[in-house]
Amino acid sequence: MATKKPTSVTIRTYAVGFGDCFLLSFKYPNEARHVLIDFGSTAVPKGAPANQLQRIAQDIATTTGGKLHAIVATHRHADHISGFATNATGSGPGDIIRGLKPDVVLQPWTEDPKAQRDARKATRTAQSGAAKLRALAALEGMHEVARAAEAAATDLREVVSKSVSEQLSFIGEDNVKNLSAVRNLMSMPGAERLYVNFGSKSGLERLLPGVKVHVLGPPTLEQSATIKKQRARDEVEFWQFWQRQGVAVSSGVSHGQRLFPRDVAAETPPHLRWFRQRLGEVYGDELLQLVTILDSAMNNTSVILLFEVGTKRLLFPGDAQLENWEYALARPEVRKLLAGTTLYKVGHHGSLNATPKTKLWEIFKNKSRTKSSRRLLTLLSTREDKHGHASDHTEVPRSTLLKELKSKTSLTNTLDYKAGELCRETLVKFGEPVQ
Amino acid sequence: MRRLTVLGQDPGFSDRRGVVTVQVEIPRERLAPGPHGARFHVVDCDASTQTLYEPANANGEDPFADVTDVQRLVDSRLFHAQNVYGTAMETLCRYERGLGRRVPWSIPGGSLERAANGRGHVLKIAPHAFSEANAYYSRRDEGVLFGYFPSRAASGSKRSQTVFTCLSHDVIAHETTHAVLDGLRPRYTDPSSDDQAAFHEGFADVFALLSAFRHTRVVSAAFPDTPRSIPPRALTAESLRRSALTGLAEQLGAELGSIRGDPLRSSVQIQPSATLYTSAEYMEPHKRGELLVAAVMNAFLAVWAKRLRPLQGESGKQSVARARVVEEGAAAADHVLTMAIRALDYAPPVNIDFHDYLTALLTADHECYPDDSKYAYRQALVEWFGKYGIEPVREHHSPEPGTWSAPERPLSYRRSHFHSLTHDPDEAFHFIWENREALGIYPDAFTYVPAVNRSVKVDVDGFAVQETFIQYVQILGLEARELRKIGVRAPNGMPRTQALTLHGGGVLVFDEFGRLKFHVGSGVNSRKQTDRLESLWAHGFFRHERQTQRRFAELHRARAMANTRFREERW
Repeated sequence: MATKKPTSVTIRTYAVGFGDCFLLSFKYPNEARHVLIDFGSTAVPKGAPANQLQRIAQDIATTTGGKLHAIVATHRHADHISGFATNATGSGPGDIIRGLKPDVVLQPWTEDPKAQRDARKATRTAQSGAAKLRALAALEGMHEVARAAEAAATDLREVVSKSVSEQLSFIGEDNVKNLSAVRNLMSMPGAERLYVNFGSKSGLERLLPGVKVHVLGPPTLEQSATIKKQRARDEVEFWQFWQRQGVAVSSGVSHGQRLFPRDVAAETPPHLRWFRQRLGEVYGDELLQLVTILDSAMNNTSVILLFEVGTKRLLFPGDAQLENWEYALARPEVRKLLAGTTLYKVGHHGSLNATPKTKLWEIFKNKSRTKSSRRLLTLLSTREDKHGHASDHTEVPRSTLLKELKSKTSLTNTLDYKAGELCRETLVKFGEPVQ
Repeated sequence: MRRLTVLGQDPGFSDRRGVVTVQVEIPRERLAPGPHGARFHVVDCDASTQTLYEPANANGEDPFADVTDVQRLVDSRLFHAQNVYGTAMETLCRYERGLGRRVPWSIPGGSLERAANGRGHVLKIAPHAFSEANAYYSRRDEGVLFGYFPSRAASGSKRSQTVFTCLSHDVIAHETTHAVLDGLRPRYTDPSSDDQAAFHEGFADVFALLSAFRHTRVVSAAFPDTPRSIPPRALTAESLRRSALTGLAEQLGAELGSIRGDPLRSSVQIQPSATLYTSAEYMEPHKRGELLVAAVMNAFLAVWAKRLRPLQGESGKQSVARARVVEEGAAAADHVLTMAIRALDYAPPVNIDFHDYLTALLTADHECYPDDSKYAYRQALVEWFGKYGIEPVREHHSPEPGTWSAPERPLSYRRSHFHSLTHDPDEAFHFIWENREALGIYPDAFTYVPAVNRSVKVDVDGFAVQETFIQYVQILGLEARELRKIGVRAPNGMPRTQALTLHGGGVLVFDEFGRLKFHVGSGVNSRKQTDRLESLWAHGFFRHERQTQRRFAELHRARAMANTRFREERW
C-alpha cells in the first residue's frame, strides 16, 4: 500500500430504527477501507418499509464496492445483530453482508466458542464443533428467560398491565437468541474471528494502517474482579444462575408444566380471586425485572472501541453500561485518551445509564455550547416509545441526556431523519498525513 | 398445642437416621383446609402455569410423623402445605413468645377496598407461587410467595429435580421475619439511612440462622463427623465456627444460593475490621446486612464457647459429651434470639441504625437480666459489634454503659390516665402533647401514634416485667431552604427549593407504675435527619425517586446476583 495513514473517515449512521448500524469508511489516497459496526433493529423507523434492513444491506454493498474489511458485532442483542440473519433463499440482509467477504469479524470474549460457562478470560484457540455448541449453550439460559418473557407477555395479558406486557415483549424479543445471525457471524467465509476484551489487540490495525484501535471493554471476569472485589464470588455463579432461571421460567410459562396436575381446582372461589389476580401481576413484574437485569448484563458484554488517528478519536461503545466501562475508566491513561474524544456514538440508544455521567460525559473536553470545528460530534441511533417510560424517568432516549447532546455537541440523531432517508454521513478529517 | 412434622432445614439436610425432620409445637387453632388459620392462609396458586390447586386438607392432623423417606415428603403437596404452615407458625410464635404479646401484620387488609385499613389479620402464603428462583414477602400483595426452580443436581424423578423454597426452613423463617418486622416496624421499609436499608435483610438472616439451633437434632446434624466426646481444642469459638456454623452453611448454601446468596457462609467469614462499616463496599444493603449477621453470630459463638468452659473441668482438659455441646449451643442461641427479638421494642420506629439496634439489644437484656456476669451475653455483643466498627449510642445517664438512659427532663403525668395510656393511642398522643418540650419533639410536625403495646415478660427473679410501649411518628413536608430553621443541614449541592418529606419518631417505654423509663428515637429535627438526607442525596434518591413495590423481591435478587447500582452515573 502506498500510504500509511487515512486522510479522513466517513461514518454513515443508518436508519435502522431501534438498533445500531454504522459504516466507517476510512479514506486512503488510493482506496477506502470499510468497517461495519453492528447491524440490527428491533423496530424499524416509523413509516419505513418492512425490507428496511435489506435496503440498508444493499446500500452497504454499493458503498463498499462489494468488499467489507471488518465487521464488529458489539454484543448479541437483536438490535445490534439481527441484520446479520440469513434466510433460506439467500436473500436476507445477512446474506448480502456475507457476500462482502469481511477479513475480520470482531466480537466480545463472551462470544468466544471456547469460553466456558464459567469462563474468566478470553481464549484464542481454533473452534471445534463441540465448542461452538457450548458457546451457544452458554447464553441459552438468558435466552430461555427472554423467550419465556415474550410468551408471558401474551399469556399473562389478562392480568398484567399493558405497559408491563409491552415491555416484556420488547425486551424479551431483543434478548431472544437470533440463531441465524449468530451462526452467520461465526461462519463468514474466509474471515478471521477475533474475540476481544479490555487491552487485547483489536486485529484491525493491519487492515487500517495508521489507525490505532484501542479495545476498552468488555473486561474479563478477572479484570472486573480486581476493581470489584465483592462481586468476584458471584461472577462464577453468574452463568449458572441464568441457566437455571431459564429452565425454571420456561418450564413454567412456555411449557405450562404443572407440578401437581391431579390436584387442580375446578374453579377459583370468590375469596381467592383477588389474590390469584395479584399473583399474576406480581409474576409479570418479576419477569420484567429479570429480563431488564438480563438485558443490562448482555449490554455489558459490549465491545468498546476507540479509533485513534493523530489527534482524532472516535468512540464506539455499543450498549456498554458502567459495569463494563468501570475497568477502563479506573485507568488514568484511558481517561486521558477519552478526554480528547472527537466523535462519540451515544451508548445504548441514549438510555439513562449507558453514558456514565460523571465518569465519562464530564471528562469529554470537546463539548461546547458554540459551534466550532473542534466541537464534539455525537451519533444517536434510536427510536422513541420503545424502551422505558418517561413516568419513571427510564425513557429511551432519556430526555435529560438528549438535551445535553443537543446543546453541547453536534448531534446526528436518527429521530431527525426525513421519511425514507436511509442514512446520514459524518465526515472526520485527519489532516495531512504525518511523515 | 399442635405438633406438626416439618423439615429441620431442607430436604437435603440429613443425618444417620435420614432426612432431619422435627416436630414443631404450635397453638392448636381451628384449621380450615389450606391450611387456613387465624394468622396464615396457605393458598396454593401458581402464576407461571396459571393454576389454582385444591386446598390441602389434613384436618389439622400430622400424617407425616413417622415418615423418614425424604422422597415421600418432597412428592407430597400436602406435606409442602404442612411444612410451610408449621414453620411460619413456629416463627410467628417465637416472636410472640419473645415479646410477650401478639404480633400484628402490616397488610392493607383484603381485597375489599382495603377495608381493614392496614390491619389485616391473615397473611397468605403461596407455597408454589411461580417457577422462579426467588421467594419474598410482599406487603402490597398481602402474602409470602415461594418460588420453585430446577435443582443443580438433576437426578431421580421429575420432582426431586426441583428445589422448593417452601421446603426450606431458612427461607421460610427469613421471609416470615420480613412480615413480622414489617408488622412491628412498618416504617423500616422507608428510604432512610444505609443501615435501615440493610436492617431488614440482616435481621431476617439473624433470625433464620439462630432459629436453626432450635432443635438439637438440627445442630447435631450440622457437625456429623465429630466424636461422641469432643476435646477442649474443638470447643473454642473459632473451632465451633469452623465445625458447626460452617457445616450448617455448607448444607444451606448448596441449592439456595440463587435466592439470596450465601449469607451464613459469607457473614461468618468476614474478617473483623472497624473500617468495614464505613467502607463503600459495605454500603450496599445486602452487603451491609451481613455485618449485622457477622457481629451477632460471632457473639453467639463466644457465649457458646464460654458456656462450655466449666464443663471441661478445672484443668480445662476434659472432653465434653457431644450431646451436651449441642445442648449448650441451643441454649445460647435461644437466649441471643430472645434478645434480638425483644430489642425491637426498644428500637426507634423510624430511621433505625445499627448503633440504635445494639443499644436496644443491650437494654432489652438488661431489663430482664441485670446481671450479665455468668455468660456475658452483652459483653460478647459489645465486643463483636465493636470489632465491626459499631458502637452503642452514647447515653449519659444509662443504668449500664451501652443501654438507653432515663429521660433527663422532668415530665408531667398530671393530666394523663395511666390505665388508658397502656392501650389507647389518643391518650398516648395526649401525653406526648403535654410533654412535647420535655421530650424534645418538634411541635409543628404532623404527629401520630401508630401503636400502643403492653408486654409482660418474666425476669430472672421470676417476677413479671410489665412495660408499655408507645410509638409515635412525625412527618414534616418542607423545602431544603427551610431545613436550617429546624436545625437540620441540607446536603451539599441540594437545590434550595428541593421538596422534602422528613420522617421522625420514637418509642416511649413506661414501667409498671406508668413512669417513663426510656425515650428512644427523636422527632423530625434531629442530627440523624441530617445524616439521613445526606445518605438519600448520595444515593440519588431525590433524582430518581421511584416506587418500589416489592422491595424484598428486588433486594433478594440483588443479593443473589451481587448486583450493584451506580445511581450517580445515571441521567
